[in-house]
Amino acid sequence: MAYSDKVIDHYNNPRNVGSFPKEAPGVGTGLVGAPECGDVMKLQIKVNVDTGVIEDARFKTFGCGSAIASSSLATEWLKGKSVDEAAKIKNTDIVNELKLPPVKIHCSVLAEDAIKAALADYRGKWGKKEAAAGAAAS
Amino acid sequence: MTEAKRGEGVTRSARDLCWNCQSEVGGEYFCPQCVKVQPASVWSDYFDVFGLPRKLGLDLEELQRRFYDWSRKFHPDLFQRATPEEQAISLENSALVNTAYRTLRDPIARVEYLIGLEEGAVKGIPPKAPLDLLEEMLLVQEALEGAKASALDAQTQKRLTDERARLAERRRAEEERLLDVSREWDALVEGSSAASRDRDDLRRKLLDRMKGILAVRAYLTTVINDLSDALGEDSQTHVSHRRH
Repeated sequence: MAYSDKVIDHYNNPRNVGSFPKEAPGVGTGLVGAPECGDVMKLQIKVNVDTGVIEDARFKTFGCGSAIASSSLATEWLKGKSVDEAAKIKNTDIVNELKLPPVKIHCSVLAEDAIKAALADYRGKWGKKEAAAGAAAS
Repeated sequence: MTEAKRGEGVTRSARDLCWNCQSEVGGEYFCPQCVKVQPASVWSDYFDVFGLPRKLGLDLEELQRRFYDWSRKFHPDLFQRATPEEQAISLENSALVNTAYRTLRDPIARVEYLIGLEEGAVKGIPPKAPLDLLEEMLLVQEALEGAKASALDAQTQKRLTDERARLAERRRAEEERLLDVSREWDALVEGSSAASRDRDDLRRKLLDRMKGILAVRAYLTTVINDLSDALGEDSQTHVSHRRH
């Protein structure tokens, strides 16, 4: 199957590969998998807890070129967005940007799921500093 | 053995008329009037191809016998002097019979196929992988990445080989579980005791359980293949489904 130039670019030069310590302040981790192909994707965001802006993002994906490209692109898009803006990223945006063929759409779904999981993890851990402080005190 | 008849209750349609002489073929694969081969579209699914009930426990010898039987009858070599239409039909039928046989003789592929049949256009929700399994797969992959970066010394090689054996054993256990659920499925399909609403519930539950097991198996297979690649072995020897 022919990959688009953008997929090949992300595959050869993946952006933001790596990870943050899971418990570091402002870090949210999403770990998801695709049962059809056995791909595993970990995506992390590092949020400035004061401003709610995503300052950095990392990913590690073990899967096909499209899955790697989807998560690489996702980390690029996440940086600089607020947590609320990030929640609006849709898998179709990724499909359009990377020109993924129909058989690879599930890779973009995986990336969207990973973003959502990371955001949910962040909100659960650091969502409201006050709430977190209150929870810690109780 | 005689040609498998189609199941009862199959509605007659235009497709049941011979494409050549327009006479009623009644589910036969060769027209009773003009003896022309009939297209594979008379079959509704792979089980139907071999005249077998839609169940997960199959008599593999019977399946093979019927496969050979069809292969002989539809073999394109037999149609070399026939009309282009008949040649095309025999080719199409042979291809379908081959695919159907390959799918049904493999217990895993058989389950995957049955799930597709049962769910039809209304796909169920894909199973969520257990998070601890994903974490474990990620750890194995990360260790593997580290091993790949350096030369594969004897110690690393042994560690990866052991890891692969452990995961292969787990995959085997999952396949055992799948067989157990398959038997439960067949029992449900055969039985008629439970009320229909309970049956629908149970059907859904069993399908979901089968999908869950297939998902876990897919993750394990991916990692096992990656380990084989790293060990410089042909992963094909480790992905082949166990044949029964």
